[in-house]
Amino acid sequence: MYWVASGFLFQRVDSIIQRLDPRVRLSLSLMLFILALISDSAIKITITMLTIISLALISNIAKRMARTTLFSATFAILIFLINLLLDYGLITSLVLALRFIAIITSTSFFFLTTSPDELECVMKWFRLPQDIIFAFVTAVRFVPVLMMDALQIMDAQRSRGLELDKGRFYKRIKNLIPILVPLVISAVIRSSELAEAMEVRAYGATKKPTSLYVLKMSNKDKFVMIMSIILFIPTIYLYLFAC
Amino acid sequence: MITFESVTYTYPNGITALREINLQINDGEMVAIVGGNGAGKTTLIRHINGLLKPSIGRVLVDGLDTRSASVAQLSRKVGIVFQNPDHQLFSENVEDEIKFGLKNFGFPEDIINKRVNWSLKFFDLEEYRKLSPLMLSGGEKKRLCLAAVLAWDPKILILDEPTVGQDFIQKERLSQIIKMLLTQGKTVIIVSHDIEFIWPLQPRMIIMSAGRIIADSPSELIFNNISLIKEAHLIKPQLVELYERLRVKPNKPFPNVYEARVWLMNKIRGR
Amino acid sequence: MSDLISVKNYNFTYAGSNKPALIDINFNVKKGEIVVIAGPSGCGKSTLLRSLIGLIPHMYAGKSSGSVIVDGLDVSQTPISELAKRIGFVFQNPENQIFMFSVERDIAFGLENLQLPRDEIQNRVIWACELLGIIDLMKRAPYELSDGQKQRVALAGVIAMKPSILILDEPTSLLDPYTAQELINLVKKLHDELGITILIVEHRLDLLLNIASRIVIMNEGKIVLDGKLDEVLTKKEAMLIGVGIPTIVRLQNLLKEGGLDLGRISLTVVELANKLNVILRDNI
Repeated sequence: MYWVASGFLFQRVDSIIQRLDPRVRLSLSLMLFILALISDSAIKITITMLTIISLALISNIAKRMARTTLFSATFAILIFLINLLLDYGLITSLVLALRFIAIITSTSFFFLTTSPDELECVMKWFRLPQDIIFAFVTAVRFVPVLMMDALQIMDAQRSRGLELDKGRFYKRIKNLIPILVPLVISAVIRSSELAEAMEVRAYGATKKPTSLYVLKMSNKDKFVMIMSIILFIPTIYLYLFAC
Repeated sequence: MITFESVTYTYPNGITALREINLQINDGEMVAIVGGNGAGKTTLIRHINGLLKPSIGRVLVDGLDTRSASVAQLSRKVGIVFQNPDHQLFSENVEDEIKFGLKNFGFPEDIINKRVNWSLKFFDLEEYRKLSPLMLSGGEKKRLCLAAVLAWDPKILILDEPTVGQDFIQKERLSQIIKMLLTQGKTVIIVSHDIEFIWPLQPRMIIMSAGRIIADSPSELIFNNISLIKEAHLIKPQLVELYERLRVKPNKPFPNVYEARVWLMNKIRGR
Repeated sequence: MSDLISVKNYNFTYAGSNKPALIDINFNVKKGEIVVIAGPSGCGKSTLLRSLIGLIPHMYAGKSSGSVIVDGLDVSQTPISELAKRIGFVFQNPENQIFMFSVERDIAFGLENLQLPRDEIQNRVIWACELLGIIDLMKRAPYELSDGQKQRVALAGVIAMKPSILILDEPTSLLDPYTAQELINLVKKLHDELGITILIVEHRLDLLLNIASRIVIMNEGKIVLDGKLDEVLTKKEAMLIGVGIPTIVRLQNLLKEGGLDLGRISLTVVELANKLNVILRDNI
């Protein structure tokens, strides 16, 4: 039954990129993001897009990235059309639309290659407070679980004759009550059980728990980091001043 | 009557949960569907009231093709009580909870009241009429869910893991209710792996594994096949195991402790 | 010998309720025992368990009297995190006790909170995984596990903290019979190999007949029966309260009522069948 929530689950894919330290991927993602922001000509956006696409291909996430981009494509088309209507010319409109897609994909590069575990480590590295990190972790962990609950509730109520897509606006809103009430109640039950389970495993015993996973830059990570910066600085220079 | 005609179902993410299911369940039958997690049991029952529609093949309920009927239309005939009461109870009080289905199906006011009174009495919930469903115990919640479905008098009743989290007294009650419904000619389908609960009901047993029906026979015959039991993640009911170990025995396993007692006492005393 | 758990004249009423949840509980557990706690829903089992691990009174407020001593510590005066080192607690729904995105990380959760050094955590995680036969699941995410596997992970998470007492609250209720039996066998193995004391709440007593040394039956907030399995399960009260008396025990009770006394009650089908075979042979 987990198929429904599968879009929300992180899928572990392996490649050279995923084996890098998540901080390296974060910085790669940031660099791409900056490049995307300042890509204001056809050549620049082509180079940026090609870089993103090749990184996506190397890290085996191209398919998933394409799927997430599909959603933003609607906005991209809108941007294209509006600019066209405002007489910006075909090329410029196209560049602007592509730039939007580049911005989206450059950020999703990090999230699609980084497991929640690694994300947590990165958050710790940024010294965010433990409670905030844990709240984030449980939220991500339980979103699919709550979605499953929601679907089961909908099935149960539809089996009792509830017709969600029938009636006028007011009736439709009213139809949501039999779904929302059990959803809230089961979320409350779940969270109190969760709280009990956390307590009995000594949560809160310390503000600074040790961590099974620690981030460590290997020589390979350092190499990729330095190489990417060496490439990035002149590119920025060229993007801003040369063409 | 329920008919599955070579039904295959594939979820939108490409996972096939039912493969080539052919099945006929007649009126008044008592059927237990068993199998491990992911065997396709829940997918199967969701096809009977149209929550899911077959990808290939068709499902007929009293001759009505589920693809051309709404869930509400089908649910009038097929009542499903899902496992977790917290996933369906939402009303301010017990009475309203029972009314919910009746209102959805458009029953007139006087019949609604009659039916509510009947089910409150039948399920021994009368004293809680004005109480919030949230205040009830686990067993009472379960009974309320049953009451809320049986109030509209569906021909077919499907129970999804009805004994999970229930204590012995609740299980006994449930067993009584099921027997009573069967005498009224209703079709009862139970999805459960509580074998000690199912066995005394002596149902027709359907074993599923990996989206297929791998066995379909009266319960007394199903436990002859050890590899089948293993595949279904079942263990033998204690009475079956006892029967198999006895050197002198009747021609079929004891359906319940009472018949076991009668047979044993007769054999021992009746020299 | 001193008791590992000692509850004396203990009463508890949840805040906001006027009906006591536990009434005059006296309950001792010795090291190495396997105790089953049974009773109808709402009988006070969960409240008693919560009182042992300190969720009462530290998380749930209420009025209490009497004393609860676990492993020499007064529960009301000891923080839950301190008790957690001594008592492992496994809940009914495995989904709600796995917080992390990988099995190994989740098993490490309690150890991280206790600030153990990292290599010690690593060692213990591997040790617990080996003990529970889930070493090949270590890198998996929770949603890639079956319910039975999730329950093993939850068990590993508390075992890694090396408690002297393990409490299980209806651990098999969501599992199929085969997987449930496997889990119970695993609990037995933990008891035998680690000498850990076990308290288990179960409706399905048939699973526990072979392993439990003692059963405590509760009803309406009180302990009503406490003793050896074969003694307690043949008592009329046990039947009337609605404890899930296993089928073969019910059969023996019925036979006894009808005048056929088989002597000491058999807790396994094999034993009962052997007894009956002897009588049937003698009679025919």
